[in-house]
Amino acid sequence: MPQLFPPVANVLARWSLAALLVFLGAGAWAWTAFTRSDYLTRVNHAPAQPVPFSHQHHVGRIGIDCRYCHASVADSAFAGLPPTHTCMSCHSQLWRDAPMLDPVRRSLAAGVPLRWIRVYDLPDFVYFDHSVHVRQGIGCTTCHGPVGEMPLTRKVADLSMRWCLNCHAKPERYVRPREEVFNPDYTPPADQQALGARLVREYGIQRRIDCSTCHR
Amino acid sequence: MTAAEAHPAPRRPPTSMHGRDNWTSLADLARSPEFRDRIEREFPRHAALWESGLDRRRFLELAAASLALGGLSACVQQPPEPIVPYVIQPELVTPGIPLYFATTLLRDGLGIGAIAESHEGRPTKIEGNPNHPASLGAADAIMQAEILTLYDPDRAATVLREGRIAAWADFTAWLHGESAAWRPSAGRGLRLLTGPISSPSLLALIARWLEQFPAARWHVHSPLRPAAALEPFAPLYHVERAERIVALDCDFLLNGPASLAHARRFIDGRRVRADRPRMNRLYALESRPTLTGANADQHWTLPPPALELAVARLAALVGVPGAAPALDWPAGADWLPIVARDLLDHPARSLIVADERLSPEARALCNAINQRLGAAGATLDWIPNPAPPPEDGSLAALAEAMRAGEVDTLFILDCNPVHTSPADFNFADLLRRVRRRVCLGLYHDETAALCHWHIPRAHELESWGDARAFDGTISTIQPLIAPLYGGRTPLELLALMTGENGMSDYDRVRAHWAAAAPGADFDARWRRWLHDGVFEGTALPAAAGPAPADPAAALAALDRRRADAVPARLHLLFEPDPALLDGRYANNGWLMELPRPITKLTWDNAALIAPATARRLGLASRQVVELTLRGRSLRVPVWIVPGHAADCVTLPFGFGRERAGRVGDGVGVDAYRLRFADTPWWTAGLELTPTNERYPLACTQDHFRMHERAPVREATLAEFIQTRGEIAPGHGDPPAQEPSLLPEFPYDGCKWGMAIDLTACIGCNACVAACQAENNIPVVGREQVALGREMHWLRIDRYYTGDLHQPDTAFQPLACVHCEHAPCEVVCPVAATVHDAEGLNLMVYNRCIGTRYCSNNCPYKVRRFNFLQYTDRVTESLKLMRNPEVTVRNRGVMEKCTYCIQRISRARHAALREGRAIGADDVHTACQAACPTRAITFGDLNHPGAEVNQWKAEPHNYDLLGDLNTRPRTSYLARIRNPHDELDADRSQSG
Repeated sequence: MPQLFPPVANVLARWSLAALLVFLGAGAWAWTAFTRSDYLTRVNHAPAQPVPFSHQHHVGRIGIDCRYCHASVADSAFAGLPPTHTCMSCHSQLWRDAPMLDPVRRSLAAGVPLRWIRVYDLPDFVYFDHSVHVRQGIGCTTCHGPVGEMPLTRKVADLSMRWCLNCHAKPERYVRPREEVFNPDYTPPADQQALGARLVREYGIQRRIDCSTCHR
Repeated sequence: MTAAEAHPAPRRPPTSMHGRDNWTSLADLARSPEFRDRIEREFPRHAALWESGLDRRRFLELAAASLALGGLSACVQQPPEPIVPYVIQPELVTPGIPLYFATTLLRDGLGIGAIAESHEGRPTKIEGNPNHPASLGAADAIMQAEILTLYDPDRAATVLREGRIAAWADFTAWLHGESAAWRPSAGRGLRLLTGPISSPSLLALIARWLEQFPAARWHVHSPLRPAAALEPFAPLYHVERAERIVALDCDFLLNGPASLAHARRFIDGRRVRADRPRMNRLYALESRPTLTGANADQHWTLPPPALELAVARLAALVGVPGAAPALDWPAGADWLPIVARDLLDHPARSLIVADERLSPEARALCNAINQRLGAAGATLDWIPNPAPPPEDGSLAALAEAMRAGEVDTLFILDCNPVHTSPADFNFADLLRRVRRRVCLGLYHDETAALCHWHIPRAHELESWGDARAFDGTISTIQPLIAPLYGGRTPLELLALMTGENGMSDYDRVRAHWAAAAPGADFDARWRRWLHDGVFEGTALPAAAGPAPADPAAALAALDRRRADAVPARLHLLFEPDPALLDGRYANNGWLMELPRPITKLTWDNAALIAPATARRLGLASRQVVELTLRGRSLRVPVWIVPGHAADCVTLPFGFGRERAGRVGDGVGVDAYRLRFADTPWWTAGLELTPTNERYPLACTQDHFRMHERAPVREATLAEFIQTRGEIAPGHGDPPAQEPSLLPEFPYDGCKWGMAIDLTACIGCNACVAACQAENNIPVVGREQVALGREMHWLRIDRYYTGDLHQPDTAFQPLACVHCEHAPCEVVCPVAATVHDAEGLNLMVYNRCIGTRYCSNNCPYKVRRFNFLQYTDRVTESLKLMRNPEVTVRNRGVMEKCTYCIQRISRARHAALREGRAIGADDVHTACQAACPTRAITFGDLNHPGAEVNQWKAEPHNYDLLGDLNTRPRTSYLARIRNPHDELDADRSQSG
């Protein structure tokens, strides 16, 4: 009986098996890369807002403190978005006729709130508390990036659990002195490790990596 | 149910201590095969989800497809989410931080103080107001469920004129025209029908209305207290001063606007500790099992006529002047002299508690006994009725006038007489004879359907007002939210009727008090009242009380009645449903699904009968019978209840509503159809005809069982003292720390733990409802409950001990006990249930894939699985209700008690913000906060000052199923009873 397969079949079979493995591996890699991609996590994405509010202008140039608008950041889980009234405390005097601010004026006149779009949107089963992070020396720009340089607010972190745990497991890498928390121009010193370790001790920062820290 | 299940014989004679054999139901007692099957299979019939058989190939196909689709879900971008700040931020509101307001909820017209939690203007949770005498910081199941009633999408939403939508302005115009017509006749033919009203400002308005229209009349209808609501005086029990209490067919621990205070005061007198082994003693005589009887140290079950005669004999035995000591009724009641002697040994420290379930003669004797025992002024005071009734303003008088055609215009405020009035009034027919009918109510109910005008009422959480508590203390009703459905308050309607409109309710109430309590500092006082929720020092002073009736005449009347009594076939007894009361909460899913304390029935009422009666009549539970009384009949399923009086049938009110709403319509049977005006609470002459029909009552008592382990440890006070609290173990007590394969966890920070005092737990369900409100727990419905799929994280197990006909009852609240060595954690394939650094056993919903292995491996059976999409994700108003601090779970996810992890987080964050450690009393779980008797304590086991550590150090503290070495964080203090030693010996001999 003649051989059904020529000798090269052995080679082909081995190569096909190897190719299958490579294909599966590449597929898994591509899958992971895609789910973590900026496209899917919307990193660097600046959603269209009712008013093209510029942090670059208000924070970077004018130097308004974060807490002027995000007033409950030190007290509440929610940092707070300014009520229309806060915008109008300046804009009733400045740029009174700018067409860009038309939605703000209409909101106050009609008593209808502005509907902003969340840039940082955590899943609903995650409970994040701004006040404790601010209190423990985590600066605004640590998570929100160089806000003072953003003409339109964009997302700088993918908000994956890996990203959260990166700091929760080793807070000394990111913690800064409490008085620098709201400084948009803060740059970590060269000896961040030493400073961080000291602050973690001083502030009594716990390494909380339990599920219950954020999920309930 | 098999014959053996219906008529079991007790397995073992009960013993007085620790060898006590608990059983939960007749099926358990009889060890029927069905029961065995049910406890072996945690979720009965759960495999039958797909009716058609699913072959292996199809299963694998579906599994592969769901895996692939599950993976794809990671490819979805989150939809954009708006974030909507205020235009002008209201004062005090910080988004993300709840506010708390003192307000008052009404129970039969009387106030119970509450603290409502408000998230950005949405009330989400009710707690008790510690300043208020009727709450003392506790909130019962019905108060908790008021939140659901507030957001109920079935509430009346518009003014209706003859069934068609109208405007409020139409009504005001109509009323304006009408009231002009009333003036010439001084309001002849004008009637007002309300529930009991304690609100001073509303009473003042009614008085002014009656002044304007002297010929008009006001009537009060209370289906739960038809007689007491019309009495000029009300008893005020000082339970805390009583060392011996006798409850005569009176469920004073559960029923009525004073029950929270009674329960707290009663339990305060019996918190047994190793260094304080003292207890009061409660005797209960009852015709049907009640919470009071279950918590009594000794109780006897008697049919109502025998119970009345026992009262007569007790009067004779304590030496009420004029009482004939020769009476020896009821037969065999040789315990009565011992009870009488015990009472006489505690002069001025004993108390007889009775209510209108007893005949007026028997109540007169109770008053005489209290007088004789020196209770008056010591353990009992009389005060003017805090909800003062109108003179001759009964429902009967109104029905009489309606029948005579004297009623021209009828205003019905917040009561539902078409459903709740006695059957012989035929109120619906009478109502149709009234020319103009106006109804103000929360729902478009049976009465509203027959009225020309229906005005939606504002819920208490939407209204301004005031109310008196059971002791007369005044408190404010403060709105938490603007009326969701355009509701109007009784104040608003009355003001319109008196022509005092043009003022807000707030101004009206404030003006009333500015006039009633004038003074320069009124503004400051008013603000403090609103803040505290209570007007301090406004309790009503003690009054002389009702004139003493002649005991001899009362005795003679009772004796005559005994002689006249025809040999009754069966007695029919009524009781308010423990959750739905008179039926006003019939559309509340939380209350519908709340397992009733004694019967553990949900979603239906049933004819409750004794095992002996069932055996005599050949009835089984769930069998439908026809009850006939005075020519009216009703078909109702039977439920056999141990501890029920023989030859009696109890029918709870509250069900059989025709126009309750989507939840309550047509659920259960309407007991009012057999209630007659002359026999409001019990009557003889009932006929019972069995049918072959069966009805699937949904009862939770055999769900989530822990096999045959004895979970409740009990002892008497004498045994407690004798053993210095070292109650011997029930089910193989473990060595303190057995070796284990599981790792030991270090706890440097907090270490949370709970202790539950079984002596203090009265089984009232407040904790169950509080847990449901706090943790967004869904309602599943009758069919799902019958399958054992109720979602309550916290359940109260009810155990019987001893005699089938008069068993002792114990309650055990049980939620996840947060094992140190948790069996659930090691079997989860995806690590969705894990331990945390503070000892909590966590459930991570977003990891759970629904294998249910954890639940299979849980010996306590405290895990709950979302078999279907139970949470309503559609109804808008219910979204407002949910606690934003707790994840809303979806189908396919396991869930369980978290020790209120959101409250722990809140306390931890507050401590962090303030730069301090968490204090001993910073965290109160929802169940703990609601508990009327403070039976639950929670705290940090690493904190030496925490109360939980003191409780756990007690000698009678024990771990549930401790021999499994799960090392639960929740432990229990054994249940201690204080029976009379002579009677206890007597019982164990006869048992």
